[in-house]
Amino acid sequence: MSSPHPPHRRPALALLGLLLSGAPAAYAQQPAPAAPDTLVTGRFVEAGFEQLARSVESQTPYRFYFDPASVETLCVNVAAERQPLPVLLDAVLIRAGLHYAIDRQRRVFVTAGQPIRLGLPPGFFRDTTAAPSLSEDDDPLAGLNRARPVRRATDRVYDIGLGQPRPASGKATLAGHLRDARSGEPVVGATVYTEQPSAGTATDEFGYYALTLPLGRHTVLVRGIGLKDSRRTVVLHADGKLEIETEEDVTALREVVIEAEKDKNVSGLQMGLERLDIKTIRQVPTAFGEADLLRVVLTLPGVKSVGESSTGLNVRGGAVDQNLILFNDAVVYNPAHLFGFFSAFNPDMLKSVELYKSAIPAKYGGRLSSVLDIVTREGNNKKFGASGGIGPLTGRLTVEGPILKDRASFIISGRSSYSDWLLRRLPVKSFRESSASFNDLSAHLSWELDAKNSVYATGYLSQDQFRLASDTTFRYQNRTASLKWKHIFTNKLYAVATANYSGYQYRIRSEQNAVNASELGYQLAQGGGQLDFSYFLSQRHTLEFGASSTRYRVQPGSLQPRGTESLIRPEVLAREQGQESALYVSDRLELGPRLSVAVGLRYSLYQALGPQAVRRYLAGVPRSEATVLDTVQYGRGRVLATYHGPEYRLSARYALTTGSSLKASYNRTRQYISLLTNTAAVSPTDVWKLSDAHLRPQLGDQVALGYYHNFQRNTVETSVEVYYKWLRDVLDYKSGASLLLNRNLETDVVNAQGRAYGVELLVKKLTGKLNGWLSYSYSRALLRVPPAVATDMVNGGRWYPSNFDKPHDATLAGNYRVNRRFSASLNVTYSTGRPITLPLAQYYLGNSLRVYYSDRNAYRVPDYFRADVGLNIEGNHKVRKLAHGYWTLGVYNLTGRRNPYSVYFKAENGRINGYQLSIFARPIPNLTYNFKF
Amino acid sequence: MIRRRLLSGAAGAAALLALLLGSCIDPFRPEVQDVATNYLVVDGFINSDGVSNIKLSRTFSVSTAASGTAPVESRAQVYVEDEQGARYPLTEAAAAPGNYASAALRLNPAGKYRLHLFAGGQEYASDYTAVRPTPPIDSVTWRLTPDGVQINVNTHDPSNQTRYYRWSYDETWEYTSAFRSTIEYAGGGQFRPRTEDIYRCWASRPSTAIRLSSTTRLSQDVVSQYPLLTLPPTAVQLRYKYSMLVRQYAQTAEEFAYWDLLRKNTESIGGLFDPLPAQLTGNLRCLSTPEAPVLGYVGVYSVAEKRLFISRSQLPPLWSMPNVGYTANVCPPDTIELPLALVYFNNNPSILPVEPYIVNGFLLGYIGAPTACVDCRLRGTNVRPPFWQ
Repeated sequence: MSSPHPPHRRPALALLGLLLSGAPAAYAQQPAPAAPDTLVTGRFVEAGFEQLARSVESQTPYRFYFDPASVETLCVNVAAERQPLPVLLDAVLIRAGLHYAIDRQRRVFVTAGQPIRLGLPPGFFRDTTAAPSLSEDDDPLAGLNRARPVRRATDRVYDIGLGQPRPASGKATLAGHLRDARSGEPVVGATVYTEQPSAGTATDEFGYYALTLPLGRHTVLVRGIGLKDSRRTVVLHADGKLEIETEEDVTALREVVIEAEKDKNVSGLQMGLERLDIKTIRQVPTAFGEADLLRVVLTLPGVKSVGESSTGLNVRGGAVDQNLILFNDAVVYNPAHLFGFFSAFNPDMLKSVELYKSAIPAKYGGRLSSVLDIVTREGNNKKFGASGGIGPLTGRLTVEGPILKDRASFIISGRSSYSDWLLRRLPVKSFRESSASFNDLSAHLSWELDAKNSVYATGYLSQDQFRLASDTTFRYQNRTASLKWKHIFTNKLYAVATANYSGYQYRIRSEQNAVNASELGYQLAQGGGQLDFSYFLSQRHTLEFGASSTRYRVQPGSLQPRGTESLIRPEVLAREQGQESALYVSDRLELGPRLSVAVGLRYSLYQALGPQAVRRYLAGVPRSEATVLDTVQYGRGRVLATYHGPEYRLSARYALTTGSSLKASYNRTRQYISLLTNTAAVSPTDVWKLSDAHLRPQLGDQVALGYYHNFQRNTVETSVEVYYKWLRDVLDYKSGASLLLNRNLETDVVNAQGRAYGVELLVKKLTGKLNGWLSYSYSRALLRVPPAVATDMVNGGRWYPSNFDKPHDATLAGNYRVNRRFSASLNVTYSTGRPITLPLAQYYLGNSLRVYYSDRNAYRVPDYFRADVGLNIEGNHKVRKLAHGYWTLGVYNLTGRRNPYSVYFKAENGRINGYQLSIFARPIPNLTYNFKF
Repeated sequence: MIRRRLLSGAAGAAALLALLLGSCIDPFRPEVQDVATNYLVVDGFINSDGVSNIKLSRTFSVSTAASGTAPVESRAQVYVEDEQGARYPLTEAAAAPGNYASAALRLNPAGKYRLHLFAGGQEYASDYTAVRPTPPIDSVTWRLTPDGVQINVNTHDPSNQTRYYRWSYDETWEYTSAFRSTIEYAGGGQFRPRTEDIYRCWASRPSTAIRLSSTTRLSQDVVSQYPLLTLPPTAVQLRYKYSMLVRQYAQTAEEFAYWDLLRKNTESIGGLFDPLPAQLTGNLRCLSTPEAPVLGYVGVYSVAEKRLFISRSQLPPLWSMPNVGYTANVCPPDTIELPLALVYFNNNPSILPVEPYIVNGFLLGYIGAPTACVDCRLRGTNVRPPFWQ
């Protein structure tokens, strides 16, 4: 709660800081009412410390002892109304780096540097959270020592590396984890830094940090969004550990928020990164009242989707398959439920999500456009809890708790729809014969074996089932599992070994006609391992390196007869296999106070493996049945195609002022597995296809440049990013290509070129009563089928807009906290309509009116606009109560605008009619109850 | 076929959920600047065993209300041509401009043929295509489903050669007017008994839907119960007797793909889960201006036909097929008394006399009704079709 600025520069804040931090502390410290003659009343503006001391001495029996020189620079701005003295002194002295002690004779000793110890401080021989070892009666500082552990931890001085040999370099590394004091979960992405000398780092996914500092006394500060600002005073003797527990900033709802150095976007090296925590995700209103991760990601600049209810993400002009979606390091292939109306991640399970749009770290690979790194919560390792919610279509429940207190915890979370139940109650017969349901289950286990070893395990299962009027049943399923072992070798070096598995499959069953009754199946599985090292070489170099390898197995399609009458000939496409391996190394270099650079190189290798029969075609002519030369059989494990190449990852930051910086990046990415879809949106029947002898891997290059400027003491972040992308060997389809059960896909697809460019503007305020962000992007995404590739090329070989080319896109996601119990959210989105191929002329053929279509994607559907509002109503804030419940009330599409979900043309009774389907054609109110206990 | 069901399922799924959420479908009229399109459209095929009929027309703008007819292409020179250059001319029917017909031809089953034509000062030709014989239709059957009468076609090719099928059909049905007129106005205030039956007529219409099936995924070349059409239980076509003539065409894989794409383009385009519409032309080229598009696909094959009859007596007795639009409620008969009747029925095409109005043996006037409810010939022909049973 303290401000890093000296008080004389911020009188009003110091005063308020006293009221905020002092008042609750007073009750905590002195449970018995203080004797009236020890309470202090007074108002000091720009006063010296001596003035304060005299005033206190005149009101109370306290007597002050201090060196006048040590308080010379102190400027007191404080107002007190019958406050206990320690509260007042806390506010005035601690901030200035001074210490005080009060003995039984009510003598007050004020010192600079070392505090006077009037006895052994509690917990001196223990860790920070241990209970006081002395009985209260013996402790002359009882009133102060009754503070909460974290607060007390800020007053302590930690000796780091005492008793070890002094390093010759005069520097030592301080490392440890940053954890939430209440749940013991790691805090990711917070900044741990010192001001003198200026050095800092961000905690990684494990909450781990490492700082190399000169030996001696330092004040280590901790800042992070949603965290109470915290500090630790350390005396660094040699390398050592400092575990920091910090509190969630629940008091952010109060009237005044002390500004903090939340300046990551300016000072951090990373660009094109968007980080969202679950709090932010919950604030954005959705159609069904349930916090939806992907829906929020879609409000970020540079992220688009073709349709309202499609969760396929198009990041900076990339196709939906070009996003690496990681759920605790395992790839999720279909992140959607119910054809995209819901995202497949249970909000109760999520902690944070990071979206890399450019400057993708070398650690990640395998997709062209972005990395969406979803991190789940670890579960409370201190006490058991449960939470859940009931919305219009779904219910969910999460249970978490310790397995071994402070060391091992679990969280398990389930969600299920009850739309089936709703459908059966509808009066329309075809609805009653339909079914639509989904569910997902995720579990996470974390176990700190000892100070150097931790193990994490995650499992995830999501299932969808859909039947339409008792004819065709769709089912699809995602499964992922990951197991991580983190080992800390030294303060400077740690390694993480990960094993992961991902599976995706769908089945489509059709049983109406016994002769044609069949089941169509598709299956994809990948399993792999990776080893990542982080090496904090020095304050100027942070090295990351590692290796990974993944085996893919794809069953691209099988059609099986159902029932004895079925004449369907079983058809099973040959299984595909591939192995993708990569090595990477990257170094983050501080080249000076203003310039820092990250250089990374990833080298990836892909091998398509047999058994496989590979057709060979005549060279130089389009591949078709007519141009087949022969077929080559490859045996089991034989390599039928190899692709490999470097992937460069470079980024640089130049600090212009303390509040602004310039960043640039270049990255190259390679992708060896592609989604085949020739429908406008992602449909569950789309298939993922491995690169093979004919389909080359996709290759993308992106350059980006950004300017970042923070205002209002870093509470308002602004940024401008521009980018240009080149894509090679993107898959495009010949007109009317059939991708299902196609043994020779290479005859239906063409390798296209892509290019995308744009500018993204973002203004973001994440603190205060009014918070949120406003983003705007202008971007283009174009494709071209080079004339050399095919004779039946699309649009005569010219550049044409991709399906998701929506040049203008503006989003406002805002939240206003009325008070601690009510907050209101507003979400406004505008974008250009997506491209469409329009009918140009009519003609008669086969007794019916037909339509001659324009060039592909030559026109656009009407612009998209939507406004949503949401209201969160919390229960009372009593600390002790059985359950904490809150209601989410919202209206989706407040203006009821009929945004076209799709536009289509139909020949009906010999006439051509154009229609637009609007899914949410009127305001959709919703109400969800959430609870936690 | 499977793909189609999947696609419609996916789109339907979205639509189904959407229905719960208050979605709606609005007409969409794009403000597209009209592109002057005047491309040649060639509709028809080369019949390898009979008369080839080719219809030539032009495309027209989307903003032009479709009137049921397209601008026809008259005075074109049209030939069926083999690879050796032998030509079989098609002549334009005098009564139907734009319709060209050949003599009954029996083409060499081993040969390759194309359509070659000169129209509007340009020269066009289709690709040379091998002759495909069409196997006979095994049966055309019908069955009752909850949705009505489903008409199915069954066929097979013992040689497993055909694999790709396309069907078209002509529907013919018997119907009546609301009133049976026994008299007609003879002019000059005179009425006389009607000799021509204008109460019972037959109407016909060709199929507009594209019906395709492929057996490539089946172990035998068998098409079983392929649904061509479903008539609802209230269809007026079933009121007396209904007939369907099914024509079957063997297709090449390319032509099948063309029709499938054309079907997708017109029947199932635009849903988010539907394939993107395609700029579709066919197997014709403009030889004189290569970049000018020509629309249509001219294949070379024979035709197999089969006719089906369904009488009212074969259908569930409780079904009712109201004569929608032509019942007595819609056109109430009017009684016109004598002196007025002579004037009234004179020169009035909108009303026809139905019968004399006679009370106690005295002719008091005539009963008349709107012409549409009396003269069935307005909707068809009163000439009994020769095939009618």
